[in-house]
Amino acid sequence: MQVIDVSSVSKKYKVYKNPGPISLKNGLKEVFSRKSNQEFWAINDVSFSLSAGDKLGIVGNNGAGKSTLLKILSRITKPTTGSISVHGKVASLLEVGTGFHPELTGRENIFLNGAILGMKKTEITAQFDEIVDFAGEQIIRFLDTPVKRYSSGMYVRLGFAIAAHLNPEILIIDEVLAVGDADFQKKSLGKMKEVASREKTILFVSHNLTAVANLCNKTLHLEKGSVKAFGDTGQILTSYMAALQNNVFEHHYERPELAPGNDIIRLKYAKLHPRLKEDQSYWDIRHAFNIELEFWNLGGTSNLNISLHVYASTGECIFNVGTGSIPCRYGLIRANLEVPGHYLNDGNYVVSFMVVKDKSIILHNFEEIFNFEIADFREDTTWYGKWPGYVRPSFSFPIEQISETI
Amino acid sequence: MGIFKRFNSQFKDIIHDSELLFILAKRDISVRYKQTYLGVGWAIVRPVMTMLVFLFAFKNVAKIQDLSGYPIQLVIFSGILFWNLFATTFQSVSNSIISNGNLISKVYFPRLIICLSSMAVSLIDFLVGLVVYLILMLALGQSISIHIILLPLALILTLLSSLGFGILFASFSVKYRDLLQIIPLVVQYGFFVTPIVYTSQSLIGSKWFIYYSIINPLAGLVEFFRYSLLVKYHLFNPQILWISVASTLFIFSLSLFVFHKREDSFVDHL
Repeated sequence: MQVIDVSSVSKKYKVYKNPGPISLKNGLKEVFSRKSNQEFWAINDVSFSLSAGDKLGIVGNNGAGKSTLLKILSRITKPTTGSISVHGKVASLLEVGTGFHPELTGRENIFLNGAILGMKKTEITAQFDEIVDFAGEQIIRFLDTPVKRYSSGMYVRLGFAIAAHLNPEILIIDEVLAVGDADFQKKSLGKMKEVASREKTILFVSHNLTAVANLCNKTLHLEKGSVKAFGDTGQILTSYMAALQNNVFEHHYERPELAPGNDIIRLKYAKLHPRLKEDQSYWDIRHAFNIELEFWNLGGTSNLNISLHVYASTGECIFNVGTGSIPCRYGLIRANLEVPGHYLNDGNYVVSFMVVKDKSIILHNFEEIFNFEIADFREDTTWYGKWPGYVRPSFSFPIEQISETI
Repeated sequence: MGIFKRFNSQFKDIIHDSELLFILAKRDISVRYKQTYLGVGWAIVRPVMTMLVFLFAFKNVAKIQDLSGYPIQLVIFSGILFWNLFATTFQSVSNSIISNGNLISKVYFPRLIICLSSMAVSLIDFLVGLVVYLILMLALGQSISIHIILLPLALILTLLSSLGFGILFASFSVKYRDLLQIIPLVVQYGFFVTPIVYTSQSLIGSKWFIYYSIINPLAGLVEFFRYSLLVKYHLFNPQILWISVASTLFIFSLSLFVFHKREDSFVDHL
């Protein structure tokens, strides 16, 4: 049975030409002059339908219209054209702690927020202890304190705890998973999985593709307000991630005059090459890669070596490897680095390398020649938060039962 | 016919979400006097102070001793009680959509609930003020009029008119914020052009008063209100009341119609 049917929905916003407050004056002007303002279609001809129990992940770049679509689906705003039909009780979580009043206590806010999200008072009362329990020990102590005195973490935990106990037939969620500390995230995601396993329809916007991959059976990829792709999650995410990643990393210079470097060293060729598995179009943590470098030695004969750094996008150096130092004459020098799979964790990285003379004098430092991203990959997991650490080794780590007596 | 059907379904939605209506009302009430020392005592202080100021102005400055034969304190206090109810309701309803913008842009529920729930605080303040009025009346040796049974009706009419004006302002002010500047002016000038600190005695003979009552239904309503609170209040004119009632109902229905037309676009302007 189809519970959600969206048919050619579009949403238009006016972009006011002379940016200024929408005043009565301008309003009247608009009425009388009929001067057309510029239009902007935040959502353009979006159609899809979901059956009961479907979990839909909505992915897309910032500004693709994901949030607007959720607002239309949760009836907060009307589409300009097109129609939606929704069968069942809907709850939308576009924000954690919607309608929390800072002056009210935690206890009062549980009832307020619950009612706003569509819970009946009896439902809230019945689940009150569970909610408080889920929110954590700290909240229990401050249950009768105004939430304006809460830390932002407590605030978010209380908000999520209430949301987690909603029991609608259709749940619409916008990025609320990215809240709280790691421990709480783990708990929230576990709860999400539990909720997802029930006969519930879920629509879920997230940048956390691992969570989408594991929670959702269907995925909608939005691009500039239109449907880029809609279908089974595996298929859609593969093409989405491939489009996100730029997997060809190559610099090639024909002549030394045009190449980066200095009078002694010029870069001729540099290539970062991920070795993707056959059926894959994007780079994840399992894949090995190599970096090939060629440079011109324009100086005289000297002992040269290369020192290569890989940095996390946050700036920490993940590793530094060096070649041996070899005697080089005028001409072309090549080096090749092999990095195994299951080595770097998912994330964004930057590669720099330098050419060193006599193991101590830096001849030239080629900074940030590659920026690359490695996607996450997990199997059989219930935890979709960011996997911690910079490295992601798959060391042998067997576990076994060795006895059945104590 | 379609409109009635839609109103009907909207009404049903509100009944369905009445728990939300009450909890929002409760929120406003419990937040109202948080962190104040006097608390709900302010609902007593404000009308009493206003009355004292006008007593001073009338007795000591303008040397007016008598207003149509009724104790001047009671005429002023009943007027202020009425006006405060109208004005505070009107103001909070007018601002309700914008001040609850965070809710409206994040969750769906019948939008009218916001307007309805924002009347709660004014209503509580009114009831507290009414008790003070009754005490004052007894202290001045007056008895309670039998017409007090009409008070609930007067109350409902007053609320309908303030809701009507409030919803109209709320519907348009989301997009046209200029209207927010007009609200305090309406309250300020309305106080003087309506028989609040005076009675309609001097007006009632004038021909234009009938037409005036159409535009300003409050003129008839305040006298009806006094009729229910003052013994043998002779300035109550049923004809004027009917005009006020018709005008109130018209404004209220118009406001519902306009609100319904505009509520879908609220989020786009918040």
